[in-house]
Amino acid sequence: MIEKNLLEEILGIAISTGADFAEVYFEKTRNGNIRLLDSKIDTITDNTISGVGIRAFVGTNTVFASTSDLTRNGLVACARSVAEAVGDAVKANVCIRLTERIFPNIHPARIVPASAEMKLKTDLLREADSAARGYDARIAQVVGTLITVDHTIQIANTEGLLTSDRHLRTRMFCNVTASDKGENQSGNFGPGRGMGLEVFEIFKPCDIGLRAAQQAVTNLTADYCPAGKMTVAIENGFGGVIFHAACGHSLEAPSVGIGTSQMCGKMGQKIANEKVTAIDDGTIPGAWGSTNIDDEGNPTQRNVLIENGILKSYMIDRLGSRRMGMPMTGNSRRENYLYEATSRMTNTYIDNGPDKNEDIIASIEYGLYAKNMGGGSVNPLTGDFNFAVSEGYIVRNGKICEPVRGASLIGNGSQILMDIDMVGQNLATGQGMCGSASGSVPTDVGQPLIRVSSITVGGR
Amino acid sequence: MEFNEIKAILADEAKLRGVEEYELYYTSGTSVSTETLKDEISSFSSGTSGGLCFRCRIDGKIGYAATELFEESELRDLVSRAAENAKNIEKAEGIIFSGSPEYEKLPAREYIPASAAELKRAALELQQKTYGTDARVTDGTQSCALTASREIRIVNSHGLELSNSMGASALYALPVIKDGEESQQDFVMELYNGKNDMEALAKRAVDKTVAKLGAGNVKTGKYNVVIDGDEMRSLLSVYSVAFTAKQAQSGLSLLAGKEGEKIASDIITLTDDPMRDECPCITNFDAEGVAARRKTVIDKGVLKTLLYNLETAAKAGVESTGNASKAGYAAPVGTSPYAFCIEAGDKTLDELFAMAENGIYITEVKGLHAGANAVTGDFSVESAGFLIENGKKTRAIKNFTVAGNFFELLKSITALSDKIELGVPMSTTAFGSPAVLVPNMSVAGE
Repeated sequence: MIEKNLLEEILGIAISTGADFAEVYFEKTRNGNIRLLDSKIDTITDNTISGVGIRAFVGTNTVFASTSDLTRNGLVACARSVAEAVGDAVKANVCIRLTERIFPNIHPARIVPASAEMKLKTDLLREADSAARGYDARIAQVVGTLITVDHTIQIANTEGLLTSDRHLRTRMFCNVTASDKGENQSGNFGPGRGMGLEVFEIFKPCDIGLRAAQQAVTNLTADYCPAGKMTVAIENGFGGVIFHAACGHSLEAPSVGIGTSQMCGKMGQKIANEKVTAIDDGTIPGAWGSTNIDDEGNPTQRNVLIENGILKSYMIDRLGSRRMGMPMTGNSRRENYLYEATSRMTNTYIDNGPDKNEDIIASIEYGLYAKNMGGGSVNPLTGDFNFAVSEGYIVRNGKICEPVRGASLIGNGSQILMDIDMVGQNLATGQGMCGSASGSVPTDVGQPLIRVSSITVGGR
Repeated sequence: MEFNEIKAILADEAKLRGVEEYELYYTSGTSVSTETLKDEISSFSSGTSGGLCFRCRIDGKIGYAATELFEESELRDLVSRAAENAKNIEKAEGIIFSGSPEYEKLPAREYIPASAAELKRAALELQQKTYGTDARVTDGTQSCALTASREIRIVNSHGLELSNSMGASALYALPVIKDGEESQQDFVMELYNGKNDMEALAKRAVDKTVAKLGAGNVKTGKYNVVIDGDEMRSLLSVYSVAFTAKQAQSGLSLLAGKEGEKIASDIITLTDDPMRDECPCITNFDAEGVAARRKTVIDKGVLKTLLYNLETAAKAGVESTGNASKAGYAAPVGTSPYAFCIEAGDKTLDELFAMAENGIYITEVKGLHAGANAVTGDFSVESAGFLIENGKKTRAIKNFTVAGNFFELLKSITALSDKIELGVPMSTTAFGSPAVLVPNMSVAGE
């Protein structure tokens, strides 16, 4: 952490040449990564990330500088470089007084990974490995990775805020390859939470390995997915990536604030089927995308984005708030001190709806049941999106039939929101890393089983 | 803290702890970038960053620990963390390298970082030219100018000392075009040299964006497809990992055991060159300190070699190809190519359209990180482009997917265009490819 009086001094420098606001973001993060390959511990790395980002605002324009030099000289030089980029001459000698504020910790961690025995951690990977290999003789490779993040931040700004937070994240990613007759197929599962190693009391490592193995073997026996427009049922959990890609990014301030989102000017309008209620909630205890405070020092919030089809809220950071004339929503995030924070999703999901899951499948004469999804991407301006289906099945006469592989779904955000015509009742979340303007940040996606009346399925 | 001081503390701590073989991998970088919105500089940022990885070998096992915090207590802790990590590794295949007999001389390249004022001026001029190119250019349009440099040093307990620095400046034009109800966006990048033709750059970006307006749909079916070089090199970037020996030895590459076999059409030659002329980042050593060299990976369709680092080469009983890499200072040693290029063929783009006769010209593929699988070779990706009718490029099309298998695609390419353009380097690799003609690909649209 940086001393309070030094923070006051560098904020004073940063704001001295005409900026109307400045902030300092300090970070010290310990990343741990253990990888198992060929049933052996293959690589162990750990890394300390440490540095400061200083940002100043002049209206809706920003100046940002970052450094890993945490000496007094290094910090003063960084603040000076910000001030010089804002203006040529000192206009004001502003005396900044910081008042410390401590927000409640709603994401406690019981077993801090860095202080746990290495054997405890490597055994978790071995458990996943043996479960995956035991599932089927055609399992050719299991790559298991245990990822731990211990993240401490300190934020101070010229409005007098001084606050800090410590946050842990733990995840196991299991990637399984099944091989038969010169052909490879993959299965993945990577659950995680904003907590310590106690996360593996919720997700048993053997279940993680097994689920990835089942997916790989299913794909090995699957034919290619047919191509064309069809009705698609998308399962809960990581299936929620559809909302994340198709709509979530278009509701973030970086595109809405400069007019490059298809959701601009639609507040209060019907943008989705009335069965769709979508929420971004950074306050869910221990969730993958949760934090106590966002990266501008505001407490995270539960924001209802869409209620019964009506657009209720965007996701807004400080710069977006200035551009859009709307309040901040606790969504400001950044990968690390090298990036300027901007508004990003946290835990974003479609809420439970009115339909029974069995009715959703029964309603499909011919279509696709997407049981597991891969990632996706979107162009927020046009709303055109894509995402990959990692485990899919043909639905015929209301019944889930043979597995198919290699499918993708493409469409347009505003169109698909209207076409989600059935929403089930088994809400669950899945974990992902979302890459965008301020780097890669952990986000939860989620939904119950939903039906999309018509969407283009990429296959062959 | 100066590098020599860091080195001395680590050497002292290593000695205290009885760590005899180790390596320091150090990177430092600076960057300055500026962005415009409307007619103003909306964002200006600068940064210095640096990090150090301590890698040691104990009983043949490799341990890593890395930091950006250059304080004595942290540096001393780094040694014990790396040693502890090494002890828990379950394979004894690591090598700390004593050096290659010789390193090719790097061609002299001067990097003069563009000043902040120059970058601001360039971004504003490009923005003004972009707005001036077409009345439909609208707010949300951005122009960016940036400069960045990086230094890499490797120092180890065998006395090896290597360093390399590189830098480049670039311009980006990102126009937003609004025509009636429709908006489109695209971008064009070029390296900045202080005398760029801003008008031409703006026009290229605007033309590229305007061409996407009014795109229609395409019917589901099988088509002859011309994949533009920019998009083919993106596909190559996803599948480049399959060319590494690590993936092959781990059973994660369909190219395992195929060295010496025909894996691509006769017209395909794929090379990897750490000193390719047009590449902004060049090097004469890899991330383990092995001399980097040019190699032909596929020669007229035949796979000549995979890419090796020291560990995978030792396992296979061959020499390292000098392709050890690190995805950042803190990452473990992996393997990747440098400038990885499918070499150009002899057809113009128009000749490829004529050969396709009726088909699709793909100028944009999206979501490759999710829609393309390097282990299986399968891909199914959102695409946009143009119809080819009667041998000519005609109307714009979008919202379709093209699907196939990369390893089958390599075998079915029937013609190549005569130009390749290298992409912006990702990490330490740049990719290049000509446009390719592939008959009979699966397309899902209406």
